[in-house]
Amino acid sequence: MSSIEAVVSKTDQQPDRGRSAALRSYLLIAPSVIWMALFLILPLAMIVYVSFWTQSTFKIEPKLTLDSWQTFFGSDTYLNSLWTTIRIWLIVLISTFVLGYPTALFVGLFVRNKTLQTALLVLCVIPFWTSFLIRVIAWRPMLGKEGAINILLMKFGFIHQPIEALLFTELSVVIGMTQIYVVFMVGPIAFMLGRIDPNIIEAARDLGAGFWRILRKIIFPLSLPGVVVGAMFVSVMVLGEFATSAALSGRKVNLLGNIVVTQVGSLKWALASVVGVILTVIMGFVIAGLLRIVDLKKEL
Amino acid sequence: MDAVRTKKGMSILSEEPILRLEGLTKRFGSHVALGDVTFAVERGEYVALLGPSGSGKTTLLRSIAGFEIPDAGKIFLSGQEITRANIYERGIGFVFQNFALFPHLSVKDNVAFGLRNGAKRLPNDEVLSRVLQTIAMVGLTGLEERGAAQISGGQKQRVALARTLVMQPKLVLLDEPLGALDANLRLRMRAELRQIREQLGIPFLHVTGSETEALAMGDRVIVLDQGRIGQFGKPDEVYNRPATPNVARFLNRYNVFDGALDGEVFASAYGRFAFGVRMASARSAYAVRYDRLVAKQAGTVSRAPAIRVNYVASEYLGAAIMHFFETNDGKVVEVEHHLSNGPPSAFSEGEAYDLTWTAEDGIVFG
Repeated sequence: MSSIEAVVSKTDQQPDRGRSAALRSYLLIAPSVIWMALFLILPLAMIVYVSFWTQSTFKIEPKLTLDSWQTFFGSDTYLNSLWTTIRIWLIVLISTFVLGYPTALFVGLFVRNKTLQTALLVLCVIPFWTSFLIRVIAWRPMLGKEGAINILLMKFGFIHQPIEALLFTELSVVIGMTQIYVVFMVGPIAFMLGRIDPNIIEAARDLGAGFWRILRKIIFPLSLPGVVVGAMFVSVMVLGEFATSAALSGRKVNLLGNIVVTQVGSLKWALASVVGVILTVIMGFVIAGLLRIVDLKKEL
Repeated sequence: MDAVRTKKGMSILSEEPILRLEGLTKRFGSHVALGDVTFAVERGEYVALLGPSGSGKTTLLRSIAGFEIPDAGKIFLSGQEITRANIYERGIGFVFQNFALFPHLSVKDNVAFGLRNGAKRLPNDEVLSRVLQTIAMVGLTGLEERGAAQISGGQKQRVALARTLVMQPKLVLLDEPLGALDANLRLRMRAELRQIREQLGIPFLHVTGSETEALAMGDRVIVLDQGRIGQFGKPDEVYNRPATPNVARFLNRYNVFDGALDGEVFASAYGRFAFGVRMASARSAYAVRYDRLVAKQAGTVSRAPAIRVNYVASEYLGAAIMHFFETNDGKVVEVEHHLSNGPPSAFSEGEAYDLTWTAEDGIVFG
């Protein structure tokens, strides 16, 4: 009798327990949902909305119009800055990969001592202990006409005239951004490489494959999730950049981020919102594209 | 050892053993991983290499494959020295304990990897036919397109084997190939490994930490003891006539007592034992197999040799029962009772018993 009662009460409790479990998971997810809604969805919707407002010289009113969008797509200056942004993003993405992958390969694969591996990765992060602006501006005395690189090159007789193209050009912006963002490429790749079982590489060697073959057929495919994560970090940061280009290009290189800053500075909220929406859409496409390369959920 | 010496003088190539090691030595810092290892594997032979962990068996295998370069000594493959040859020039297959499959490739691409990316690259249709043939041989037909990460442990083992065999190696090295499988599968793969090898006639050198696996698989068994060869012989030789006290210990079938030879008897802390066989060895000890001991009520044994112990516990093994006893100073002595020899005796815990055996079954080292 008592056992039957136990069974009955157990079945009675079942849906109840299900409900409390569901409640618990809602409670756990609630803070992040509220946070995302307040600080991501809402501002995003707001930006899209404001981009259609009517802007006059000193004020902005919620009367819907396409004016700001037409201004953006009708102006060579703005369109040029769109292409410059995409070009610089692609160049920096490639240069961080070209510089970052071998570094990650060394740290993640050739250094098998875990302590040394961590020490080397920390070494990569040390520049971040100084402020972003100092790191950017520190490139000026390096690249300038009378900067360290020119002085050294002249002293050793490689050149007779200082190279002026080093500073206040697109090149200096690319150099500065690559230095700042390369570590975001190195970290995820080194992490993935560190997880490769050394026996797999030995097996490939035993089967007769040389170093470059192994790199191309085994190591690179296995590190691809790290490359994608690194590319996502670098892309999002470079696409939203304005400080490096402002400090190292002498205002010659105008990225979309610089336009947002100037427009907001002159209280042109509507046009700033248009640029913001365009940037967000580009980032969305970039991330969606990168996620198509690998299934990160499966890999990580 | 003798076989090696006589073979050395012969110049006929076909008589050359497939693998010959001469004085192979490898140190890691002050630790001697391999000390003067010399032996030869004949053509078509299945050699099992038995050793406890840290005995240098993996280092030995990795030196033969070329993953480690020995500090001294020479390695010959079919009479050709390969001590410092490139890994891919050796033509030696290596099967890793953890299989080391390429996780991002399918079963077929794993097996095809060496043919497609190795030193000699073959035309695609030849690669495919050889790959499918090898996959069929290891019994994986139908799984060709499956990802290497999506198959079971036993299937991974077969892929690892197929990946090596498709290269038609002159010698296959297996590093604890069954260690990562569960017990049932291990027994099945044992038979299959032997069958595949007989089909191909390629010599296998199989490293294992399991004495039953070594005795069951090997045409001959090498016992490695602290980087040195303890014994190299047929399984029944090794089993019945272990060459050193440590070999007897690794076999896990012998009670080994310390002591010293004193004329015609062996003097141990537990008494003086007569013996049947004497093996020349640097270290002296007395060994008697678990299944040669008989437990009697204490004081009822008149004949020697015998040893006084207390009963601890028993373990049922199906066809036999293992009884565990303990001497006064805490040494565990094991007795195996085959149930075909009648029902087991009942022992009570903590009671004193005498274990006895016939002197002929005692092996003395010294």
